[in-house]
Amino acid sequence: MNETEPVVPRPRGRDAVAYAILSLISIYCAIPFVWLVLASFDANAALFLRWPSPWTLNNYIGIFVREGGARWFFNSFVVVGAATIIVLVFSGFGGYALSRTNAWWKRPFLYTIILVRVVPPPALVVPLYSILLTANNAVASFVRSLLAPELMRPAMLVVGLIDGYLGLILVFAAMQLPLALWIMKTYFDTIPYDYEEAALVDGASLFQRLRLVLAPLALPGLGAAGIFAFISAWGDFLMPLIFLSSSELQMLPLGLFRAFLRVQQIDYGFLSALAILYMLPAVIAFGFARRYFVQTFSGGVKA
Amino acid sequence: MTYHQRTARQLQLLLLPCVLLVGALVVYPALYSIYLSLTNASLVGVAATHPRFVGTRNYVRLFADGGFWNSLAVTFWFVLGSAVIGQFVLGLAAAVLLRRPLRFKHLINSIILLPNAVPEVVAGFIWISMLAGGDHATLNRLLGALGIPPVRWLQDFPLAMIIVVNTWRGIASAMILMTAGLSAVPGEIREAARIDGASPRQVFRFITLPLIMPTIFLYMLVSTVTTISIFGFIYALTRGGPGNATEIIGIYIYNQSFTAFQLGYGSAVAVVTLILSLAIGLVYVRALKVEV
Amino acid sequence: MFNGRILAGISVAVALAIGSAQAKTIRIAEHRQARIDALKTVVPDIEKKYNVHIEVVEYPAPEKDYLTKLLTELRAGNAPDIFTAPHGQDVADMAAAGYLAPLTAELKAWDGYAQSVDAAKAMATGKDGQMYVLPAMLNVQQIYYRRDILEKAGISTAQPKTWAELLDRAKEIKAKTGAYGLLFPAGVTWGGGSFTEGFRLLIVGTSTPQIANDDGTLNLTSPGIKDAFGFYADLINNDLMPIQPLLEPEPWVLPKYQMFPAGKLVATTSGSWCYIYDWGPESKNPIPNVTEVVGSWEVPGKQGGQYVLVDLESPWAVNSKSPDVGLAKKVMLELGSVKADVAYAQNLGNIPGRTDAAADPDFQKLKPLVPILAALKNGTGTYLKTAEGFSAVAEGVARATEAQLRKKTDAAGAQKILVDYVKEVVGDEAVK
Repeated sequence: MNETEPVVPRPRGRDAVAYAILSLISIYCAIPFVWLVLASFDANAALFLRWPSPWTLNNYIGIFVREGGARWFFNSFVVVGAATIIVLVFSGFGGYALSRTNAWWKRPFLYTIILVRVVPPPALVVPLYSILLTANNAVASFVRSLLAPELMRPAMLVVGLIDGYLGLILVFAAMQLPLALWIMKTYFDTIPYDYEEAALVDGASLFQRLRLVLAPLALPGLGAAGIFAFISAWGDFLMPLIFLSSSELQMLPLGLFRAFLRVQQIDYGFLSALAILYMLPAVIAFGFARRYFVQTFSGGVKA
Repeated sequence: MTYHQRTARQLQLLLLPCVLLVGALVVYPALYSIYLSLTNASLVGVAATHPRFVGTRNYVRLFADGGFWNSLAVTFWFVLGSAVIGQFVLGLAAAVLLRRPLRFKHLINSIILLPNAVPEVVAGFIWISMLAGGDHATLNRLLGALGIPPVRWLQDFPLAMIIVVNTWRGIASAMILMTAGLSAVPGEIREAARIDGASPRQVFRFITLPLIMPTIFLYMLVSTVTTISIFGFIYALTRGGPGNATEIIGIYIYNQSFTAFQLGYGSAVAVVTLILSLAIGLVYVRALKVEV
Repeated sequence: MFNGRILAGISVAVALAIGSAQAKTIRIAEHRQARIDALKTVVPDIEKKYNVHIEVVEYPAPEKDYLTKLLTELRAGNAPDIFTAPHGQDVADMAAAGYLAPLTAELKAWDGYAQSVDAAKAMATGKDGQMYVLPAMLNVQQIYYRRDILEKAGISTAQPKTWAELLDRAKEIKAKTGAYGLLFPAGVTWGGGSFTEGFRLLIVGTSTPQIANDDGTLNLTSPGIKDAFGFYADLINNDLMPIQPLLEPEPWVLPKYQMFPAGKLVATTSGSWCYIYDWGPESKNPIPNVTEVVGSWEVPGKQGGQYVLVDLESPWAVNSKSPDVGLAKKVMLELGSVKADVAYAQNLGNIPGRTDAAADPDFQKLKPLVPILAALKNGTGTYLKTAEGFSAVAEGVARATEAQLRKKTDAAGAQKILVDYVKEVVGDEAVK
């Protein structure tokens, strides 16, 4: 954070007020985690706040030993990671195009993609399922023509659009693209055209310009767009619930969600330990990307 | 082909992958739900396999349906309370105050960012524990230490509680955007104003605020849109209850489509939501006089 | 590095798949750990018998999420080959959608058919005379009470003869022990259970004991419906049942798993599974000596009569769009074998739908369940005829009783909520 601080000396009292307000906000943000952390180390965890007795690591160990925790993590990383990469590449190109074009469709397009995101996911599930199933059948007959029958199933687990990695990757990417496009478009708006003109004078083609000049400059924007896409896809549970079935493909939110009523009584220790591990990657990613935010969003919206 | 035409063509090409993906998996399903909304499509019964075209019957029913109006009202207060007021005010406050060279600045910053990274199911789960009734629940126990008797938070103040929880989730995104917006305000202008005798409040009101207006617009648009479409964490937290006190539009659509199994009717709700959001989008653009 | 891990994952999957490449695959959807464990005890035998590969697909356990996923897939024509309907009341609606392959011919030729309990066969038969589900497991419900607590407090443990007597007993419990007297499941979060474990037990004892009319319409405006809601109103207004826990998620946990074992709730409706699951050996919070300590009453009728309610427990069905319906049917019939029935009985405490299971030595070890099956064999057991629209009735009852729990309405108002909801969902003409 390299913003200039005012040089006018501030009275100390103001700092005290600032501390007070910030402390209240921090307590509000932090307090719900107290129970989660305690319960995750508690052998007899309950829905209620209690001091762990006895302390245990079994809740964490159980995720990987009793359940397929490692597989859930692997699948979540594959699906959300791939979706994030698609979002980065597509929104990088698309955001640049939207920033530099003055075509008549620019504004209608921008508003359409952002406003269509108000449709809550439950309304999209059924139409999405039929589209993906149609595409899935096409993919399946293509794969069948290439591979021996015994390789069909493992192949479809990867490239299948229903109950396969690819389908969920595309769904996540599509859901996150509108916001990412907005972020990248507004970010490219802040990068002066001069840079490109210099390259243009040197005779660089559009793709050379993108690769050599704009890609390095776009990093902070991509960092911010990527982190929002990652966190939002990482936390989604409805789409994995509907589109994945095979045990090989189970992801973290499903592991967590299924644990709820799998047995009549909820295992709160297991659930909180899993919840902590589940949120950890998103927290870490946020920590890394924080420095990109200021640079990315300082432009706001410009004509 | 002129240079300009070629550039235009190239730019369109760059945008094509986005158009295809968003078109196929976001816009098309939304359009498909317009079709569904004109049928009696269902998940069970004869209409599941042989839906009939029913014209505008779903819409007629919708406007007479108290449940629908309730969910619109709940969504309105939810968006207003959490996205427009709660997250924005606290996020702006945090952004402004964290510009000071405070000692625990980075720690506080991290704590505020934390809830934003919490997956929706986990958020629901954590807050069930926080807000459960009875004197053992987390919040009641903490307040009990201050001598405040236990409250059945989710039963007695359900709408207020989902606003509190969603504000909690979103302070960070407001703070990030506002920090960025503030950092773009040239320090010299503010300083000049201060030297001219303006109070800090006046500097903020007449210099900083107008300059961060575009950022505020972006924040309002995005957070309104994403808040209207919230489903997961309310589903995990209250499932719309008690009664239908927290039945925001996403939950209402879910209940119509997957509890009552009426896809056509659920889709009609989605279409009306879409139209209303268009109106909201226009209002924002006009009111804030910002161009994209 | 990423690629390497993906490749490793793929090759593991390939190796797994090649191992069973010869056989056809049948996918069975199942949910909840106890049910999956039971299913897995019979899978190897079936695989051997028909040279199939059986893939058990775990579905989400909460009932609504299970249905959301399953119905989305069924509608698109892409569901597993074999699955369960959550409750008997869901079968008619799923059959009407064409999701379920008719099984009449196969069931009649099946060696278990002659052994099946009559009530189970009747419930598996739709109004078109076709059978769409396997009547393998039954749940048998009545009222269970803490005999030890009643005796200690000097309260009669005799069978109550009417609703009034039952309510008086509950009031007496409340007055003498301070504990809650009687629980009937209610509210939205209990899901289908508010109907199957609560309301249904009352409606059979009223002057209008059936909801499904012969012409396929639903009789929801009857006085019996209002009386049943009136019974709920008595329980709620007299503070005889714990209300707060029923308004929260997982409403059964506190009353059934904690208050009842602790003696803070003295009587509740329940299925036979309580001796195994809720308070028995499979419980986290077992009641010692449960068969002695916990007694049972049949559910009295409003003016008299005694009822033990039977219902199909998550009955198996075959996907009509399965790529190999014939094979799927064969596999499904195996899920009705004595061995499968007993495995489910052991894990869940439900009652096999076939009488020859009574002779099975493993079943005989489940002592509390033996007399229940014997009684079913002799023809006890009342059931509610189902029809299209029953899923909506169950949800409507959940909503109506929720309003009662929150003291927002009286019995007549609750009936109106039910009628309005069902009319809205299945159409005005289907409700009488």
